[in-house]
Amino acid sequence: MRCRRAQRWMVAAVDGELAPRRRRTLEGHVAGCPECRREVAATEAVLAGVTGLARSGCEVPSHLEQATLRRVRLLAAAEEEGSVARRWWAGFRIPALAFATAAVAIVAVELTRGAGDRRAAPSGPRAVAQAPARDKPRVVASRERPAPKVAESLPAEPPPELAAAPDLFIELPILRNMEKLEHFEAIDTTTLDDGGEQSNG
Amino acid sequence: MKRLGIVLLLAAALGGAAALAQQPAGRPWQELSPEEQRRAWENYQRYQQLPEHKQRSLGERYQRFRALPPQERERLRQNYETYRGFDPGQRQEFGQKYRRWKSGQPASR
Repeated sequence: MRCRRAQRWMVAAVDGELAPRRRRTLEGHVAGCPECRREVAATEAVLAGVTGLARSGCEVPSHLEQATLRRVRLLAAAEEEGSVARRWWAGFRIPALAFATAAVAIVAVELTRGAGDRRAAPSGPRAVAQAPARDKPRVVASRERPAPKVAESLPAEPPPELAAAPDLFIELPILRNMEKLEHFEAIDTTTLDDGGEQSNG
Repeated sequence: MKRLGIVLLLAAALGGAAALAQQPAGRPWQELSPEEQRRAWENYQRYQQLPEHKQRSLGERYQRFRALPPQERERLRQNYETYRGFDPGQRQEFGQKYRRWKSGQPASR
């Protein structure tokens, strides 16, 4: 297994959403790959922040926040070193697609709505969610734009992506756990007593 | 007549996009309470730190969530509140049950 694939599976693994066989494969890889072990730790820390704190209004301890962001930035910067050209192309191709999608949606809305019946942000949340702001270097990774500090105070004007679909971000913890929440009752009544479950890792 | 045909053709081609675009949009930022704005802002910052494929996946889930009937969305919110109230032991047990449950489902990913 290669690191690239391992890193694609990590988020699902941290969420407990990776199929058992893949999880074992990933665990096997991570056991022998220090870099991926660091990546798993960073992913766990970021995702734990989203799930545990997002709706509670708790503050992230600053030492954890700083340590996590530092690690994520270092890892991302290292990755970026090796893939500038690939990222450049991805950063160009996807915005073009997003732009085309948004343009089609806007034209459609203009055709089907009366001229006087316009709502704010016609390209709004749908366009954002289908092609989430990929017109700029992403992740944590960017050296030109350091990762935002989680406890930063509310800006006077929200970033366009946030203004276009604020509900996406309000519901983020639910979205992260959506499958679990959709089948909550069935999962909760699942029995574990025949010893078939793997260790939690 | 020819012009009408072109307009109809264009309208048919864009019908799918129009149907999508006419779904009720989420609330504008200005209509959120200060507490909701703060929560959205904090989650936005965390979202920015997620890998790109995870962001894409969350965008898709958001579309699915928005398409749910209101009572189903409310059910998910209530389930989330229950889940959030779990202590670490309960959460771990739920995670195990989830994996057990998932292993019995047809492959979906």
